[in-house]
Amino acid sequence: MKSIKKLKPLAAVVGAGRTKFGELWYDNPEELLAEAGIKAMGSVEHGLRRKDIQACYFGSFLYQVTNKLGLVPGYMARELGMNIPMSNTEAACGSGGSALYNACLGIRSGEYDVVLVGGFEKMTDRSGKIIDDLMLAGDPHEFDTGYTFAGLYASMMVRYIHDYAHGSDSRCREALALIACKNHHHAMGNEYAQFRRELTMDDVFKSPLVADPIRVLHCSPISDGAVALVVVSPEMAKKYTDTPIYIVGSQQATDDVSLCSRESITGIKATRLATENVLKETSMTMGDIHVAEAHDCFTIEEILFLEDSGFCKRGEGWKIVYDSYESFKGSKHIPYVNGDRELIVNAGGGLKADGHPVGATGVRQVYECFKQLRGEAGGSQVDNELNVALCHNIGGTGGIATVHILVRELQ
Amino acid sequence: MSEPITRRKILVDYRIRAAICENCGRVYFPPKSFCDVEGRESKMRPTDYFYEKGTFLTGSVIRVPTNKFSYLKSYLSGIIHFQNDDLKVPSRITDYVPPSEEIDVSEFIGRAVVPRFRKTYENGASGLIYYSSLNFSFEDDYYPFQEYKLIKPSSKSENRDKPGIVGYGVYIPKFRIKNEAPGVPGVKERSLPFADEDTTTFAVEAGKRALIHSAIDCQWVKKCFVGSESAPYAVNPSMSTVSQVLELGEKYEGGFFSGGIDSQFACKAATDLFIDAAALVAYPTFGGEYVMVIGADNSQAARGDPLDYTVGAGGTAFIFGKRDVIATLDCYVPYTSDTPDFYRRDGEEYPKHGGRFTGIPAYFKHVGTAMKAALKMCNFTPKDIQYVVNHAPNAKFPYQVAVEAGFDREQIEPGLVVRYIGNLYSGSCPTALAAVLDIAEPGDKILMTSYGSGAGSDAYIFTVTEAIEKKRERSITVKEQIDNTHRQYVDYSTYRRWKEGE
Repeated sequence: MKSIKKLKPLAAVVGAGRTKFGELWYDNPEELLAEAGIKAMGSVEHGLRRKDIQACYFGSFLYQVTNKLGLVPGYMARELGMNIPMSNTEAACGSGGSALYNACLGIRSGEYDVVLVGGFEKMTDRSGKIIDDLMLAGDPHEFDTGYTFAGLYASMMVRYIHDYAHGSDSRCREALALIACKNHHHAMGNEYAQFRRELTMDDVFKSPLVADPIRVLHCSPISDGAVALVVVSPEMAKKYTDTPIYIVGSQQATDDVSLCSRESITGIKATRLATENVLKETSMTMGDIHVAEAHDCFTIEEILFLEDSGFCKRGEGWKIVYDSYESFKGSKHIPYVNGDRELIVNAGGGLKADGHPVGATGVRQVYECFKQLRGEAGGSQVDNELNVALCHNIGGTGGIATVHILVRELQ
Repeated sequence: MSEPITRRKILVDYRIRAAICENCGRVYFPPKSFCDVEGRESKMRPTDYFYEKGTFLTGSVIRVPTNKFSYLKSYLSGIIHFQNDDLKVPSRITDYVPPSEEIDVSEFIGRAVVPRFRKTYENGASGLIYYSSLNFSFEDDYYPFQEYKLIKPSSKSENRDKPGIVGYGVYIPKFRIKNEAPGVPGVKERSLPFADEDTTTFAVEAGKRALIHSAIDCQWVKKCFVGSESAPYAVNPSMSTVSQVLELGEKYEGGFFSGGIDSQFACKAATDLFIDAAALVAYPTFGGEYVMVIGADNSQAARGDPLDYTVGAGGTAFIFGKRDVIATLDCYVPYTSDTPDFYRRDGEEYPKHGGRFTGIPAYFKHVGTAMKAALKMCNFTPKDIQYVVNHAPNAKFPYQVAVEAGFDREQIEPGLVVRYIGNLYSGSCPTALAAVLDIAEPGDKILMTSYGSGAGSDAYIFTVTEAIEKKRERSITVKEQIDNTHRQYVDYSTYRRWKEGE
């Protein structure tokens, strides 16, 4: 393991809890969040009383639309039986990451020492309308030209293949399918994952078309679920656990809501800026990251992450994916290899296989890293020794991105 | 979408309106009040791309659409690049039906596209209908690109005291159905709308072409009439949509100093207003230079009705004025009686008709009387007329009534476009007149007689002028549209689905 210089933590995660992701027919969204929150509080080793929590930061995208409920703080005050400050952040699929970003600001400001961060979504209640609902994260002109989210990412994918695989290299298309296979493989040991079954490339290519060239198995699913974290100031971390996971970098960047209006169709500027800033904040490079949670809402986005984050050069992400998969000889996690850099992405299955209850996803990514860095990820635990993890959560097609870096040992 | 939101979107979407920073040239869609780079130094100017040509940058065939677009089943959406200003906008590619198997969308990259005014979706059967020009078709397909270039009108005209047609535009949709039913008199194939078209979109496209053909400034069109019997709204005019899209009249705070109405008189809803248009431009206090008259219909017919084998879709727009007239309006004879041969009660979906009663006592009586009276008024015999154009519910009636009046095949045939596009109802006679103007020579006289059930006919005699020659290069002729090799045939079930939403 590379040694990194002494890092100054911003906050620490001392507890984490989540629900299973999937079609959770029998649960209301606020109950799912309460379940995750109670699990998170219960997981704190040295004990945490509810009265210790000074504020709550929630993230949810479609709560009002899917369940016709508003005022999340009011519902959560009821569920948790508390009267503390609470806020809900809506940033589409980036809601969870943004909620954590805001929680970090609350702690960094010195206002709070102990906060609860929660992300949740209940999407399956609107199965017939969810494709329309999700376009709330797009520009209305995109909706009015018939676009769906899959269609927007498919447009990125088409242009990416055209520009970087010269439109005819079948290995690029195969790489885009292999990402789904890899993430399903990673989810096999994840007891909470929505899908725990292996996929073959053939399965992906034979799945129904959604938006050419995206097929069903290139897509993350429609999911219900909730995740919660107990986040404390660094000074308080050891009071609650002997093994806190420190947040050492927390950055957010935004960009035009419309894909058309951005600098690039084959890259996410907000990811690039947030990642640049978080690496600068921590004086790290992508080579220092051992495990990453990438926002693989569609498989193309995982390739864009590799490039936008600087893990590899623009246009080479698909080759890294293809070559890494082809040369992999092991049986568990499939790392991406770029020269002397090695990165395991989406160790628990990512959005693709673990599930994507959109507001929960950004928090789930931190949950996964928290567990991985503590060696508590169960069947999904990466065999290598891990110390640094990165979480990448975006909203819409890149209107917002938050990136967090977590470490187990500060030195 | 609420009515206020719709109105705000109309101001942007109908013209693809953007804002350009005059300092640095950056363009913003939708428009914004300052430039991201120039900040307080910004100098923003509104601009639009309604008459521009773009290229396809990327896209996807949407196989699982939102509920709002499920009526289209699957379609191609994409990002369009207007290269001159480096502007990208989202789009839907219209008039394109993707195959059921996966396609390589990258093959479309770089192809030129032309904006089209189409429906986006409807808010149910009783709600608003939304339109936009963020729909494009490929330039090398059925719908060509035409530049809208203004030409300063001549200050004097030989026919200054005699108004007439200054320009015209014909829009016939890309799709056709072949007539295989026996007993349809002479109608070989018919045009039909794509699923996102209706009478209002036909009217806009025809009007757009008329402006391009005339090369006049749209702000001097002070009145617009849209004649139709298939307007998408019972109350809420197509005319105001046409005016908003084409910017007819002088602009003022999102509206225009112009007026007009939708008119209804079965198939003569538009031609009835030719004389009114000509009269207006000659009226000293009118205050405008031009009047636009559009006849457009998605001609209605119940499934299996004999009409279901003759109806077509499309429209034609004429611009009337006094300068640079291509055909003077020399004679007008209306003839009207209360003859209930064809009707549709309010709230009913399809018209009913009196079968054989629509012939001799209705069509032949009114058309024959008006055309003969027009000839008599001008002291003309059929030999003085080069082309005769009659309303065409089929190919037999207009031919027979003309022959009975003494005309021969050469005078009748050029106007019998019903054979290839079907009966366009309010657009029938105007489109046939356009087909004749496409080939007429200066000095030619054209006798046009419309027919509207209920019933009435308007007979007009036009004289073609020298000005027609210079404008030909800007027209897309009716024959070009009839013969277009990119026209696409559909089966009966698709025809009914697209035409009637069945």
